[in-house]
Amino acid sequence: MTAPTPATGTPRPTRPRRSPFVALSLLAGVVFTLYCAAPRPLGIGVDLGAIASNLTRGREIIAQLLRPNFAFFPRTVTPLIETFQMAVVACLIGCAVGLPLAFLASRVTAPGRWTLTIDRWVLNVVRALPDLLYALIFVAAVGIGPLAGVLALIFFNIGVMAKLLSESTDAVDVGPVEAAMAVGASRTQMVRSAVFPQVLPNYVAYSLYIFELNIRASTVIGIVGAGGIGNVLNTQMKFFNFSNVALVVLELFLLVLLIELASVSLRRRLV
Amino acid sequence: MSVAATGTLPHRPGRPTHLRRDLLFIAVIAVFLWSLVNLGLRLDRLIELPGKLLGIMEAMFLPPDWAYVDVALPEMVVSLQMAWIGTLIGAVLSLPLGFFAAHNVSPRPVSAAIRLLLDGIRAFPEIVLAVVIFVPIAGLGPYAGALAIGIHSVGTLGKLTAEAIESIDSGPVEGVRATGASGLQLQRWAVLPQVLPEVVAFWLYRFEINVRAAAVLGVVGAGGIGSLLAQTLNYGRYSKTGLAIIIVVVATLLVDQISGRLRRRVIDGPGSAGPDAAQEIVDPALVLAEGAPRPIALRPS
Amino acid sequence: MIRFDRVSVTYRGGVHALRDLTLEIPDGQFVVMVGLSGAGKSTLIRAINGLVPITSGSVFVDDQDVARASGRELRRIRASVGMIFQGFNLVKRASVMDNVLMGRLHSTPGWRSLLGRWSAADLELGFEALERVGIVDKAWVRASDLSGGQQQRVGIARALAQQPHIILADEPVASLDPPTSHQVMRDLKRINEELGITTIVNLHFLDLARVYGDRVIGLRGGELVYDGTGAAADDGAFRDIYGRSLTAEDVLETPAA
Repeated sequence: MTAPTPATGTPRPTRPRRSPFVALSLLAGVVFTLYCAAPRPLGIGVDLGAIASNLTRGREIIAQLLRPNFAFFPRTVTPLIETFQMAVVACLIGCAVGLPLAFLASRVTAPGRWTLTIDRWVLNVVRALPDLLYALIFVAAVGIGPLAGVLALIFFNIGVMAKLLSESTDAVDVGPVEAAMAVGASRTQMVRSAVFPQVLPNYVAYSLYIFELNIRASTVIGIVGAGGIGNVLNTQMKFFNFSNVALVVLELFLLVLLIELASVSLRRRLV
Repeated sequence: MSVAATGTLPHRPGRPTHLRRDLLFIAVIAVFLWSLVNLGLRLDRLIELPGKLLGIMEAMFLPPDWAYVDVALPEMVVSLQMAWIGTLIGAVLSLPLGFFAAHNVSPRPVSAAIRLLLDGIRAFPEIVLAVVIFVPIAGLGPYAGALAIGIHSVGTLGKLTAEAIESIDSGPVEGVRATGASGLQLQRWAVLPQVLPEVVAFWLYRFEINVRAAAVLGVVGAGGIGSLLAQTLNYGRYSKTGLAIIIVVVATLLVDQISGRLRRRVIDGPGSAGPDAAQEIVDPALVLAEGAPRPIALRPS
Repeated sequence: MIRFDRVSVTYRGGVHALRDLTLEIPDGQFVVMVGLSGAGKSTLIRAINGLVPITSGSVFVDDQDVARASGRELRRIRASVGMIFQGFNLVKRASVMDNVLMGRLHSTPGWRSLLGRWSAADLELGFEALERVGIVDKAWVRASDLSGGQQQRVGIARALAQQPHIILADEPVASLDPPTSHQVMRDLKRINEELGITTIVNLHFLDLARVYGDRVIGLRGGELVYDGTGAAADDGAFRDIYGRSLTAEDVLETPAA
C-alpha cells in the first residue's frame, strides 16, 4: 500500500482506522437487546407470536378506541376541570420555584462552586423520580384528593424547569453579564437585568411545555387517587368501557392541542 | 443629533404601554386564583404535611430495608429492560415514519396524514395503551409494558425526527440528486447523515424518559420496580419503599449520566465526553478571551 | 488617579499577559493604548475594574486596592468605573433605556431592580445620558434594532449613567465603520473634556491613536514600551511597539494616494 506509483511518486495514504467506538457501541447495543428480549426471568420475554395470535382481539379493541362515546361527556366535565386546575396551580407554583433554582444550578449565574454542585445533584435526584412516585408519597402523606396531586406535580415541575432553564442559562451570551459586573451590580441584579431577559422566551416555552406535561400526567396520578381525570379513566378501563376511555383520551388530546396552539401564538407574540 | 432651530433638545419619548402583555398577565393570575380556590384543597391536611412527610421520610430512609435489595434490584433490571426494548421499538418504527412525515421529503398529503397519525398516537398515554391494548394481547407483564412504551414513543420520536429532517440544509440534497441518485439513495446519503446525530440524541433522551415511564407502568401491573413501589406504599412497608426509591434514583441517575455523555459524544464528536468542563464557574472576562464552551441544546420531547 | 504597581497577570496555561507593569494615570487624562492582540491591552484595562484577577502587584483606583477589595467594595469601585466594550454588550431584547439604566444598578435597591421599576431620579439621569450622546429619541426602542454606532452610543450612555470617575473603553470602534468610529471617538473626547472623566481607550487603529490620544501608551508582550503624546507617536515609534512595519490593517483609513 505504500509503494510509490511510478506516475506520481507519492505513496497512497492508507485508509484511516475508523474509531472502534461506533462498532463497539453497536455491538454492545445488540447484545444488550438480546439480553432484554430473552424469555423471563432473564429478560422481559418478547414474544412475537403473541401479537400475531391476538391480532383480531387487538383490532377489536382498537376499533372501540376509535369510536368515542360522546354520551359519556357530562361525567367527564368536572374531573377534566379539576385536571385543568391542578395543572394550572402546579405549573405556576412549580415554575416560579424552579426559576431561582435554575439560576443556582447554572455555571453562569451560580454564586459559588459548592452551590452549583449541590444544587445540580439535588435537582438530578428530584428529576429521577417519576411523577407517579411523588403522587404515591403525597397520597400517603395527605390522603387522596387533588391536594396530593398538586403537591406531586409541583415537585416534578421544579425538577424539570430547573434543569431545562439551567441548560438555557448556560448558553446565554455572556457579554451583557460582563457589562453587569462592570457596572458594579450584585449577583441578583446581574441575573435579573442581563440573564433573565435572554432566557425569558425559553422560560415561557418551558412553562407551557410543563403545563402540557401536567395535563398528561393527570391520567396517571388520578389512578392512585391524586385527583383529576385519571380516576375516571381507570374505572372505565377496569370495566372494559373502551368507548368511554376513547372519549377521555379524545378530550385530553383536544386540551393538549389547544395548549399547543396557545403556546405557539404566545411565543410568537413574546419574541 | 437633531437640535431644533430654537435650540431646545429633542423631545423625550414617553414610556410605551404594554396593554396586551399586562392584560395577559392579569388573566393568568386570575385563572390561577380561581383554580386554587375552586379546587377546594384541604388546607388542614396541608398544615399536617411537613410532620407527616417527615414521618414517612424517616420510616423510609432511617434506615431503609437493605435486605430488600434482593427483590428490588432484579425488578429494577426488569424496568430497565422494558424501557430499552420499548425505546428500540419506538426508534425503529419512528425513523421511516419520520421521513414520511417530513414536509420536505414526502408529498404534502402523505406527510400531513402521517403527522396526524403520530399526534393521535401521542394522545394515548402509555397507561391506556398498556392496559387497554397490550395487556389483552401480550398478557400482564413487562412485555406489554415495553410494547406500550414503544408505540407511545413512536408518536413523539416520529414528530421530532420529522422536524429534524425539515430543518436540514438542502445543499447536500441537491448535490446528491445531481449525481442521479434515486429517492431511497437520496435519503440514505444526503438526508440521513445530516439528521442522524440529532436523531440518535433524541433516542437516548427518550430512553431516559422511558426508564421513568417503565417504573410508572409497574404500578398498573407491568412488573418492574413500579409494582414494588405501589405495593410497599399501600401496605405501609415504608422501609422497603425507601430502598426501592434509592434503587430507582441510583439507576435513573446512572442512565441519565451515561445517556448524557453519549448524547454529547454523538452531537459534538469524539473527545467531548470527558469530565465536565461545564462544572466550572464562568468568569465572563476569561470566557470572552478564550471562547465560550458550547453546551448542548435539546428540545423537550 | 489610577496606579499600577509592579502588576503581573499570568493566565492558566502559562500565558504572561502583563509583566511587572508600573504606570500612573492622573485624573482627567485621555489615554490611548495601542499594541498587538495579546500584548496585554485588554488585560490591563480589565485589571482596573477587577474583571481580571492579577497574579502579583497592586492596582489602585483612587487609592483603593482593587485586587484586594471585598465583594461590596469591589462593586463600589466598579460603580465609579464605566466600561465600553467592542461588542457593545447590550441586552439585545431590552429597551435602550433599560440598558442605560443598568448603570444605575449599584445604587438601586433590591426590590426596584427585581421588578424593573426605576425611580424618577434614575430615569432623569438616563435621559440626560442619552441626550449627551444624541440618541434620546430611541429611548424605548429595542436595543437590537439599532445600528452598530447607535448601540455603542447606548454603551457610552450606560457608562455615563453611572456618573463615573473613570471610563474604560476596550476597542470601542473595532466593529464600526470609519465615519462612525470618528463620531464615537469624538464623543469620548468631548465627554472627557466636558466632564473631566479620566478616559482610557484601547485602540487597534494607529491613525485614531495619533489624532485623539493626548497620551499614547504602547504595550508589547505585556510590557510598557512607549509612553508619550499622540503627536510624537510617529511611524518609528509604532514600529517599536509592534515589532514590525505598519500594514494597512493597522490604520482605519488609508490616506489618499
